[in-house]
Formats: sequence, C-alpha cells, structure tokens
Amino acid sequence: MFSRELTVSDIERLERVATAAVEALQMDEDTFRAFYDRTARQVWAYLARITGDRTVADDLLQESYYRFLRAERAFTSDSHRRNYLYRIATNLAHDRHRRGRVAVHVPMPEENAPGALSDGRDLAAETERRTDLARAMATLKPREREMLWLAYAQGSSHEEIAESLGLRKSSIKILLFRARRRLASALGGAR
Amino acid sequence: MTTLIECPRESEILDALASARWPSRVDAELTSHVSSCEICQDVIAVASAMREDHDTAYREANVPSSGQMWWRSEMRARQDAVREAARPVAVAQGVAAVLALGVAGVAGWFAWPTVHDFFVPAASAAQTMSPMVLPLLVAMGTLLVVAPVALYVVLSEKP
Repeated sequence: MFSRELTVSDIERLERVATAAVEALQMDEDTFRAFYDRTARQVWAYLARITGDRTVADDLLQESYYRFLRAERAFTSDSHRRNYLYRIATNLAHDRHRRGRVAVHVPMPEENAPGALSDGRDLAAETERRTDLARAMATLKPREREMLWLAYAQGSSHEEIAESLGLRKSSIKILLFRARRRLASALGGAR
Repeated sequence: MTTLIECPRESEILDALASARWPSRVDAELTSHVSSCEICQDVIAVASAMREDHDTAYREANVPSSGQMWWRSEMRARQDAVREAARPVAVAQGVAAVLALGVAGVAGWFAWPTVHDFFVPAASAAQTMSPMVLPLLVAMGTLLVVAPVALYVVLSEKP
C-alpha cells in the first residue's frame, strides 16, 4: 500500500472533523464550568475513597469528565446529569480494579506532629478514626464501598444510588443493609 | 423469623447527624430508641464515620480548575477526532484487494477461451508473421498494468 503525505484538502477535512468533535461535546463551556464547579470536589472525594488512591482519583476525575462531555445523551435534569457522571466514574474505577491497577490500601497518616487541628479537634484521634475507616472500607467489596459512600457520605437517595451504580432501585435497600452491617462490624472490630 | 433491614426512624437519625444535633441535642426518646435498635446503631456508626471522612476528603480535594478541565477536554476531543479520521482503513483496503483479485480471477476464467484462441493461431502464425508481434503484445500488457501505478505515484503530491 502507498502512504501519502497529507494534502491541503486532507488537513482541511481533519480540521473540520476536529471542530465538529468539539461542537458535539455535551455542553458549552459556561454550562460545563458551572457544572464542574458544583460537582468536581464531590466526585474526587468519591473516587479517592472508593479506589483508596489519590493519584488514581486524579486520573479518573479527568477521564470521567471527558467521557461525560463526549456522551451522546440528553439529560432531563441536573440530578440525572450528576448521576450519569457518577456512573461513568464508577465504571472507570471498576475497570481499573479489574485490571488490577488499584489495590485498595489503607492510607498512612500524614506526616504531621501530634497536636490539635485548626478547629480544635485532636489530630491523633482524627488520624486514628480515618485509618480505622480506611481499614474497614478496604475489607468491603467495591460495590459496597460505592453504595455506602453515596448513601451516607453524600446523602444520596436510593433512586440516585441505583441510577449512579446501574442497579435496580428495589435491590438497593437490602444491599445497603448488608454493606452497612459489614462496615459497622468492621468498625466495631477496629475500635 | 424475619430480619429487619430498615428502621422507620433511620431518616431522623440521619437528619440529626447532618445537622450536628446528634447526640447532645436530640430528644431523650430518640436516644433511648437508638440504644435498643441495632439498625440505628449501625446507621450512626457508619454515617458519622463517613460524613467526617467526606468532609476531610472534600477539604483535601485538589482538583484542576474548570477552565483547565474544559481546555484539556476540548484538546483531547480534537485529537481523538483527528486520530480516528486519519486512521488508515486497513480492513477496507484488505477487502478491496481481495475483491479485486476475485474479479480479476473471474474475468480471467471467462476470457481464457478468447485469449487462448487469439494466441494459438498467433503462435502458429508467428513463423509467418513478423518476430516482433509477440514481444509487442507482452509489452502492451505490462504497460496496462504499470501505467495506473505510475500515474498514482506521479500525481500523489509528494514534495
């Protein structure tokens, strides 16, 4: 086969393709920026806690918003849009987990000297609580971690959890009960 | 015996936790219920730990700015679109080559009697004809094959 150099018409065609790809993004810049400012920190916190790795959370955050922007879907509400974003983030975290690139680990306490936090709480006690939770979370299945985080850290409803995780709403109650039981036992054991 | 999987007072507990009223600013009746309800005890243990962790994670989140994220996504969308459009269609080229060979084979099959009839008298008449006729026919055939390729190479706008 012959390989040809790009001609002017090729470059123009590719330029048109690139422009069309940007125009096909889910939102315009202003809408995206407002949506991102509302959701990014929450999504990062979710990814960091379900994967147990901040660097992975950084990567997956970018990938999640990019895929969200390229999704060819119509959304009926802001909540629908947010749930879809969580679904993308969750699927990406699952892919990473399946490929074995993420081993949920217990984060080491930060290198701070024991003392008090700016709001008066005891740093050592705070660190211990966080380590206990991380250790207990690491004993759960990925789906359980996701569900518990959405329900109790973010206060999502059963319907939102079902939509974000791609599960049936009717099964959330029992799954959540089991996951909560397991985490409570693990926390009880850690204390 | 059926196991209870939820307690009707769960939402009250979650509200109290969310508004930082638990445990000191809730009524004694709720506190007494919690002390006897295993489900609510689990809810308190899990929800209070997770809310606290959520607040910490939220504070720690160091996410790129929205402008930066938009710019990166836009760039990547452009690059991906160009890459997809410029990707050589190897499969299509392979199919086209196989089809061309197939067509040539079928055409050869049908044309064979005609070609045979043309060359056999020509070969028998070659002694009487000019010795230049056969090489001329071969040269014409070669030209028919090579000419399109040569034209493609010349017109392919290489610098």
